[in-house]
Amino acid sequence: MTTTDPMPTSSTAAPAAVAALPAAAVPGASPPRERPARRGRRRAERAPEEQRGAVSALEWRRTSVRFGLRGAHLLLLALLIVWGIGPLVLLVKFAVTPTQDILRTPLAWFPNGFAWENLTEAWTDVRISHYFLNSVLLALGAWVCQIVVATTGGYVLSVLRPRYAKALNWAVLATLFIPAVVLLVPLYLTILRPPVGPSLLNSYWAVWLPAGASAFNVVLVARFFDSLPREVFEAARVDGAGSFRLFWSIVLPMSKPILGVVSVFAVIASWKDFLWPLLVLPNPDLQPLSVRLPALQATTDLGVLMAALAISTIIPVLVFLLAQRLFLRGAGLGGAVKG
Amino acid sequence: MRTGRTPWAMALTSAVAIASLAACSSDAGGEASGKQVLRVVSLLPGSEQAAFDAFDARVAAFEDANPDIDVQQEEYEWEATTFASQLAGGTLPDVFEIPLTDARTLIENGQLADLNDQFEQLDYAGEFNENLLEAGRGEDGHVYAIPAKSIYGVALHYNRALFEQAGLDPDQPPTTWEEVRAYAKQIKDATGVAGYGMMASGSTGGWQLTAATYSRGGVVQEADGESYESTIDNDATRAHLEMLRAMRWEDDSLLADSTLAWDTINQAFAAGQVAMYTNGSDVYNSLVETFGVTGEDYGLTAMPLEGEDAGALVGGTLAAVGAQADDATKEAAVKWIDFFYLQNLVEEEQAVENAKVRAENGQAVGTPVLPIFSREQYDEALGWVEEYINVPLDQMSGYTDVAFDQPVIGEPTRATQEIYALLSTPVQAVITDQGADIDELLQTADTQAQDLLDQE
Amino acid sequence: MRRRGLPRRQRTGGLSTFLFALPLLVVFGVFAWLPIGRSLIMSFQETNLLTTSWVGLDNFRAVFADPRLVTAIVNTGWFALLALVFGYPLPLVAAVLMSEVRRRKGLYSALAYLPVVVPPVVAVLLWRFFYDPRPEGVFNTLLGAVGIDPLPWLQSATWAMPSLVLEATWAAAGGTMIIYLAALTSVPPELYDAAEVDGASIWRKVWHVTLPQLRGVLLITFILQIIGTAQVFLEPYLFTNGGPADATLTVLLLIYRYAFGQSLGADYGQATALSLLLAAFLAVLSLIYFRLTRNWSAT
Repeated sequence: MTTTDPMPTSSTAAPAAVAALPAAAVPGASPPRERPARRGRRRAERAPEEQRGAVSALEWRRTSVRFGLRGAHLLLLALLIVWGIGPLVLLVKFAVTPTQDILRTPLAWFPNGFAWENLTEAWTDVRISHYFLNSVLLALGAWVCQIVVATTGGYVLSVLRPRYAKALNWAVLATLFIPAVVLLVPLYLTILRPPVGPSLLNSYWAVWLPAGASAFNVVLVARFFDSLPREVFEAARVDGAGSFRLFWSIVLPMSKPILGVVSVFAVIASWKDFLWPLLVLPNPDLQPLSVRLPALQATTDLGVLMAALAISTIIPVLVFLLAQRLFLRGAGLGGAVKG
Repeated sequence: MRTGRTPWAMALTSAVAIASLAACSSDAGGEASGKQVLRVVSLLPGSEQAAFDAFDARVAAFEDANPDIDVQQEEYEWEATTFASQLAGGTLPDVFEIPLTDARTLIENGQLADLNDQFEQLDYAGEFNENLLEAGRGEDGHVYAIPAKSIYGVALHYNRALFEQAGLDPDQPPTTWEEVRAYAKQIKDATGVAGYGMMASGSTGGWQLTAATYSRGGVVQEADGESYESTIDNDATRAHLEMLRAMRWEDDSLLADSTLAWDTINQAFAAGQVAMYTNGSDVYNSLVETFGVTGEDYGLTAMPLEGEDAGALVGGTLAAVGAQADDATKEAAVKWIDFFYLQNLVEEEQAVENAKVRAENGQAVGTPVLPIFSREQYDEALGWVEEYINVPLDQMSGYTDVAFDQPVIGEPTRATQEIYALLSTPVQAVITDQGADIDELLQTADTQAQDLLDQE
Repeated sequence: MRRRGLPRRQRTGGLSTFLFALPLLVVFGVFAWLPIGRSLIMSFQETNLLTTSWVGLDNFRAVFADPRLVTAIVNTGWFALLALVFGYPLPLVAAVLMSEVRRRKGLYSALAYLPVVVPPVVAVLLWRFFYDPRPEGVFNTLLGAVGIDPLPWLQSATWAMPSLVLEATWAAAGGTMIIYLAALTSVPPELYDAAEVDGASIWRKVWHVTLPQLRGVLLITFILQIIGTAQVFLEPYLFTNGGPADATLTVLLLIYRYAFGQSLGADYGQATALSLLLAAFLAVLSLIYFRLTRNWSAT
């Protein structure tokens, strides 16, 4: 249930994504290997009659069933609105409400007018813009790191297959079984005193690089590469393409769907991560929003804090609303991995 | 082995990546353009812009006086949770601040630099309050950490406006715990605002409970030759917990929040959500620095002292440098400690300059603290900056009248922060549980504290 | 001997292949394999990063002797149990009902999923305010509107944990529901057709067709949830910092305190020892999980 995730490495992405597995693990749910799940979904849209639920068309025509179900659905919708939007509406309201009103009458409708200055104060005085940028940088770097490691690694494991591929595969898979919590302390000490070079504490590499060590991503991408038609590779090789060209011009362009999934997970996980950046970025100037917001609550006026919270929420919510399908489809695409 | 062009391209890319990695991670510290870079702590994160302006002005003055030193500032708040690992990882600023009580262990662990040579160069090296200086000395008699910033006594802070609203005379603050309780109830009944607040989170609850214990004539540990005995389970601590519970559940005058820490209770007080609380006597500085408090409603008075051995808890801050610092850094560090923390206490020109800058930026000047040097020295320094003093001194007389004469007791010396953390549990319990078994809570904490003391 | 690839590539494949493997080797080597090995060693050591010594099983003994361990395990178990009670049936019922929605299904899923995209730290700070124990607090105002006395929420050893779980459920239920929804679309329609031939009612179809078809997913989300709740940190850390009086001290928070909660040097050895114990417990669960996914994908 709680996917609140203490995991420092980008196995951060794993729980959400691993959770997506069963959809395909269940008989009949897994899309045909060579066919990305997207097409499966389209098919579903085109022929809704194929996708019936427990209630048959005949039953739908019965008045009692129809009214019962419609009623239940309306109730569900109402509950979902309260559940999904209620707290966010309150947050937005607090963001522009004077502090005294938030404290005294949190649910009243602006008894003393608005406090638009909360927003500007949060953005400039509290420097939310600065921490916001930090969050973006962290997410960007973690994303690059994960994509690079996952695609090159997946390429080696699935396409190039050197003799040590099998051992490598096991070594990567094994880390899937190690809960991230075990790594918390030793990984922190590794950052503190890396095998080579100076301490990575207070450096973004301390967040980016461990994010790359996500077995989940590697496995996800490797399984996807497995499903690409070998004939295309062989043809390319016959045409004289080296492994670099094969990778860059053939494999990567064919992998957009899976890269999309990895990217979404990577960015979300980075945006949400709290414990790990808290540990390795003690310098407040470098901290992302997630770490900074809790520290700010003690020095910030409540109204301004609420504005800061609202600002931090708007971007992920907008991204979600715009790319809703990609998010919700994650389940289907995640199904590319099996055991 | 024959290789194509592309593998080399990749090798190059990897090499560049690794090189840039190394470059990026090594840009902390070191020397830039021949100048000695010195990283120092500035203010609490989230401080007001004016406070940073005042700090920047001081940095500029220091760099003018020491053109070979480049000062880089970092916001800093000492936190038990990150301090140890930051120190071990060498990522603290070059000059950092530590609680008085932690110096002994840090020195024993070899984690602080020996500043003795540089310290001896200060003309006022011999004038420190010897008891304080002792806290920063190692077993070899060398100075590793220098008393700086502030030495505070725990005192009672109150909101004069709320006193007036409740029909209390703000010039007659409470002098016994009984009065504190009665006043708190009167304030709550009259204004609806919590009359009293108590830190409870992390180690802060135990810190304030220890201060209250001292004020009622108890202590939480006693030295017995080489070993230490925990005395947490004592009547003074029990009496205070009983009072807190009564205030919470009978009078409903205690702020019902068991998550308050040093910063959040300051916030609540600054926002007028609590009328009285105990904290270091110098907290007014932070209230101005962080919340822009202006002071008309601020009142400060001494801790109520009851019983034979009662005293006010004193604590303080030392400035120190990490063990790995080289001589040049140490040299620059002590210059900064001298300039920023100490000169304005011992040297008129600097004192006036500092007070002027702070006053111009709306920061507090003249907040009562305890002397790092002698009492006379302290009074003299206060005289120098008289025209800049902007704190409401007449609203602080309840404290300043007795501050130098009241008995004071230092913090527990062994496992201080850990024992504070243990003591926070009973505080949280009485705030949140009407039926909390105080005897049992104290026994449990006492046993655990004894375990810690035995491990030392 | 190479299993695949074209002969001409075999000779040059070595270096370029290795270069492709390099990012994975470096990143996993330094940030996964090395720390894993290190944690095994560290659990038998005492270190303050300056000096290190072998202490045998002392760390494990210290962990077991710590009275907070029992508290932390009980609290974590309580959290897990409450999370099951609050958060397990809810998404299932919603998903089954939602799968019958004919129009605007996307709206339903989007609404349910919205809390999942709210940054967890924001959610906790917001809910912390909702849980204001004064009668004017957001939730207490709502309770007051239906005639219920104000609750102390986080300010009570009894209510603190349920409050944490309620927020955690809000933050995560949408994700679970989407998984159920995906699984529901894969229930073979023939099964319903067959049930209808036998004259089954809607309830019977749900009970005898839908739920049995979901048992795989249900079991898996069950285990995933246990794995997730066993590592819960953010809520107890930000809501209550383990309080009041250790009522929300969880295992991971205890590990955090061993490693990072002491100003005068951390107990890294003890922290690693407890991490390993927790890991062993989780590994068993993960193994079960992987066996299940394998079984279900095989059938």
